[in-house]
Amino acid sequence: MIGLVHYLVVSALLFGLGVLGVLLQRNLLVTYMSLELMLNAANLALVAFSRFNRGLDGQVMVFFVITVAAAEVAVGLALIVALFRRKQTVGVDDLTDMKL
Amino acid sequence: MSQTFPWFILFLPLGAAVLITLFTHERRELSARLSIAAVVVSFWLSVLLFTDPRAADPGLTLSVNWLNVGGLSVDFGLLLDRLSLLMLLVVTAVAGAIHIYSYEYMRSDRSFSAYFAALSFFTFAMLGVVLSDNFLQMFMFWELVGVSSYLLIGFWHDRPAAADAGKKAFLTNRVGDAGFLAGIILLWAMLGSVNFDFLAQKLAEDPRRLGAFSTVAGLLIFCGAMAKSAQVPLHVWLPDAMEGPTPVSALIHAATMVAAGVFMLCRVFFLFGATPQWPAGLTWLDGISALEVIAWIGGITALMAAVIAIQQNDIKRILAYSTLSQLGYMVMAVGLGGRTSAMYHLTTHAFFKSLLFLGAGAVIYRLHHEQDIWRMGALRHKMPLTFGTFLLATLALCGVPPLSGYFSKDALLGRAYEQNVPLFLLGLFTAALTTFYMFRLIFVAFLGRPRSPHIEEVREVPGVMVLPMLFLAVPAALLGFWAVNHYLAEQFSSIPPEPVPPWYEQVFAPFQHLPLVAFLGLGAIACGFFAAWGIYGKASKDPLPEKLGGLARAMRNRFYFDELYARIIAVTQELLADFADWFDRWILAGVGVRGAHGTTEFFARLLRLVQTGNLRTYAILFGAGVVILLYALLTR
Amino acid sequence: MSTLTYIIGWPLAAAVALLWVPRQMRVLVRLVPLLATFITMVLAIKLFWQFEPGAAGYQFVQKIGWVTSLDISYHVGVDGLSVGLVLMGAVVAFAAACVAWEIKEREKEFYFLLLLMTGGILGAFASLDMFFFYFFHELALVPTFIMIGVWGRGERKNYATFQITLYLTLGSLLVLIGLIALYLRSGANTFDLVRLTAYLGKHPLSPDAQLAVFPLLLFGFGILVSLWPFHTWAPLGYRAAPTSTAMLHAGVLKKFGLYGLLRIALPLMPVGARHWLGVVAFLCVGNILYCGLVAMRQKDLNLLVGNSSVAHMGFAFLGIASLGLIGITGAGVVMVAHGFLAALTFGLTGYLYQQTGTLEISELGGLLRRLPFIGSALVMAMLAGCGLPGFANFVGEVLVVFGSWKSVPIIAVLALWGALVIAAVYMLRALRNVLHGPLPEKWAALSDATNPWRKLPFVLLLSGLIIFGCFPRLLTGKITPAAAAILQTAAPQQP
Repeated sequence: MIGLVHYLVVSALLFGLGVLGVLLQRNLLVTYMSLELMLNAANLALVAFSRFNRGLDGQVMVFFVITVAAAEVAVGLALIVALFRRKQTVGVDDLTDMKL
Repeated sequence: MSQTFPWFILFLPLGAAVLITLFTHERRELSARLSIAAVVVSFWLSVLLFTDPRAADPGLTLSVNWLNVGGLSVDFGLLLDRLSLLMLLVVTAVAGAIHIYSYEYMRSDRSFSAYFAALSFFTFAMLGVVLSDNFLQMFMFWELVGVSSYLLIGFWHDRPAAADAGKKAFLTNRVGDAGFLAGIILLWAMLGSVNFDFLAQKLAEDPRRLGAFSTVAGLLIFCGAMAKSAQVPLHVWLPDAMEGPTPVSALIHAATMVAAGVFMLCRVFFLFGATPQWPAGLTWLDGISALEVIAWIGGITALMAAVIAIQQNDIKRILAYSTLSQLGYMVMAVGLGGRTSAMYHLTTHAFFKSLLFLGAGAVIYRLHHEQDIWRMGALRHKMPLTFGTFLLATLALCGVPPLSGYFSKDALLGRAYEQNVPLFLLGLFTAALTTFYMFRLIFVAFLGRPRSPHIEEVREVPGVMVLPMLFLAVPAALLGFWAVNHYLAEQFSSIPPEPVPPWYEQVFAPFQHLPLVAFLGLGAIACGFFAAWGIYGKASKDPLPEKLGGLARAMRNRFYFDELYARIIAVTQELLADFADWFDRWILAGVGVRGAHGTTEFFARLLRLVQTGNLRTYAILFGAGVVILLYALLTR
Repeated sequence: MSTLTYIIGWPLAAAVALLWVPRQMRVLVRLVPLLATFITMVLAIKLFWQFEPGAAGYQFVQKIGWVTSLDISYHVGVDGLSVGLVLMGAVVAFAAACVAWEIKEREKEFYFLLLLMTGGILGAFASLDMFFFYFFHELALVPTFIMIGVWGRGERKNYATFQITLYLTLGSLLVLIGLIALYLRSGANTFDLVRLTAYLGKHPLSPDAQLAVFPLLLFGFGILVSLWPFHTWAPLGYRAAPTSTAMLHAGVLKKFGLYGLLRIALPLMPVGARHWLGVVAFLCVGNILYCGLVAMRQKDLNLLVGNSSVAHMGFAFLGIASLGLIGITGAGVVMVAHGFLAALTFGLTGYLYQQTGTLEISELGGLLRRLPFIGSALVMAMLAGCGLPGFANFVGEVLVVFGSWKSVPIIAVLALWGALVIAAVYMLRALRNVLHGPLPEKWAALSDATNPWRKLPFVLLLSGLIIFGCFPRLLTGKITPAAAAILQTAAPQQP
């Protein structure tokens, strides 16, 4: 049967993909998407636990997470657009003005 | 009345110096008169004190407490006994004569007032040395004497030679003073006081009190006298000090300051009564007492200075080395235990030597500051009074009877003969040399053919300068008959002296007392005179350099002492200073401070590498940090 | 209100008042600090005169509580040791204010900082509460850095400023740590010195605590006083500093460290003191001999004077290290005497700099002819610096050497040599090269200090030196009982 473990493995894989994306990706937008991927992987894990442990807490948390993630995406994308207008690029390696 | 006199004697010259410095600087005449008045009044008060029978016996002390901290109590006190009363007379008399002489001699100098201020200050300091009743007070005035001589020798300070001479004198004196102070501290540490009477009493009770340090203490104290009285090896400043004005040379370097060393040794003679002993490590020197060392240093100084004097051509330098030589005699006498003869010679020397310097000053004054004797000549008829007094003083210096020097020198030589025959022979030889170089001076500078371009204008010096010379000539001639010897012996000798014989018997007394010494003395004088007459009687240039070659050159170059010292200083002090400077610059400031600065900056640069500005780097670091934290927390 | 509060308060009040004076009224800007420091000086002289020499304990005490939970209070009072320092500080402050006429730009700020310094220094000497002790010291120290940085001179000014700031702040940091450690370890819950001394007399700190805390204070204060080898900031700093700052810092502020050692470290931690002061005696040789030798090599007059100033501090340390009545009294006298001397010397070299624009010894020469007053004053200052009797420094040095003979004779001899010979060598060489000899053409147009107002500061400082040199009991009569009290706690078995 499909058990908790399967869901958690999928969640972990998604999370791992997300981390790799954040660390290795050169495009800022894709980095951002990977960040979202990580968040959703966490959501998946939370729902799986809620389903298999018969508690509603996990699902309630997921609502919070989705809301916050949406707000965060709005702000973040606005910042990226502003950055693009300034620098005409979204390559992470080109954005090193904060170097000491 | 007598109680206040010493305070006036001491402080009047200081008052004059302060007044001149603060108020009357612009008014030359007034300054000079203030200064002269102060010293003349001091002289008069000294005479009154001297003749007061209550003053010297049993000797009185007036003191106030100056410093009192823990075990160190220092008074400011004035000690009056025969020794100090005699010195007061000598110092004020000679100083007075020279003050008056300077009035004319320094007339055209633009720092006239400053000169008199310095002269008065010197008089104050010297009187302070004479009157002090404890070591520390004497040391203080000792230093002040040193500083006034620095100011006076370097009086014409825009002349490099004078400025250097002043510095040299002060520094050489300071080296001696360091030993002096070390000795004082040693005495205080071991005996608990710096007061002369107290120390003398303590040592009289128990001569072994100083233990292993008795000889060392004596020699350390002698260091001060060595520097002040210009004994070998601290003699190098005296000839250079001739850069000062001639009256200064007369006062300081003939009659008073240099005599201070001899005076001090007589004053603290009780020290040498302690049982001689050397500390551990130096015990191989056992058997040599401090007095022996002193006597030999005195003798060597006397001889060496006389030898150098033979080849000097500057009139003041000849007299300077002559002073060195006579001081050597005095120190030698003290070393042989003869305080009376040393002080006797000091007294007579003060008068005839200052007279010699004043005479030299008169010659220099008239010849437009010419000082080379080979450019003088035939001054005898042009300046008869000067010549007369100069000749008188020379004869006194050589020890020709019945002048003062004869008596004092005979006393010295007699003492040497009784105590230490090698030193006696040394003294005798030096007496011959003394006559030789002095008459060399007389033959070349005063007699013979004129060699100066100014000879036609030369005439006798004005009265203001002649009178002091005449004033000094009297004691130079007659001091032998004034029973100075007996006066001193009453304080120094434990044997009551015989009554003073009438004057005509006094002249022959030395012949009755120690005939060999007296005859040999006269013989030495005669040898020197005839040798000088033979070589220099008709000379127009010095024949000795060819005959003696290298030796003459060494004599002329003062046996290369200055060069030796310069070398020693370069190798020790200057090297240390260079090292210290290098260390300071490179190690302490370089490694230490800039090192600290550099290290901090290095770490800063290292940490800076973390701030790449790259988002991914930050993300990796962030992730790594989280992993480490989780690991640390979960493995607890 | 104690006289001391007035003495401390006047300069600080004047500083605040000065902020309201418009910058354009230059006469008033100069007059306010002159007046304030003059009043302070008069009050300090009155304080000194009225001080009772034989009485033990503190006089002119005033206490106003502040933070009762930590027992921090404004507590001021003087004993024999500090009364001399307060007098010296006030006189030097007035002299510094007089000499500040050479500052020609942003005078208002300069005088403000000067007055802060004055108030701080006097407060530090009078303080009997550790917190305020430190507070006043910092109040005086920080303006120094600013003054050197803004009004300093020379091409290495910036480096000197940074160095002195960081170095002295490090010293202050060590002191602060030490003071706080003392507060915490003592268990007395008080910053008040009088209470702390009494408490620690009955319940002394454990030897371990003492051995740990004393070096903090020792080296912290030592850095502040340029103890060897932490002295390299001093010559450079003084060369770059404007004259008034150099006078106040070298003359007065430096003594704070020595005072702190005597007031706090020695009585409260006797075991630590005995253990560490042997090291200090050894380091003194560094100050006296080493810095003397370095001074010989200096080509700049201010560097020479700065190094000589460091050398004199060695004597004070030696006196303290001797742990004897004579030595500590000597240290007290050296502190006062050197204050006058350093202020005098820096004031004079400042005058020379202002006239000639340089202090390179090779450039100067023959100045005595042209500047008789300044030249003579400089001669006297240099002679005082090599321990000539008649000046107060001689008294101090003699007392120190006599006092340290019994405990460290070899060092005493070296100190003697340093004082008499080495000091004389570089002082006289300086005189020879700066004042004597022929006058070079370029200095033919210099002018001497003929105006009595210009002469006043130097006359005051010289008078201080001469008065205490000729009548030392005025000073030692007050210092000795205080020293005895300090020694009673610090070295009870020694007489």
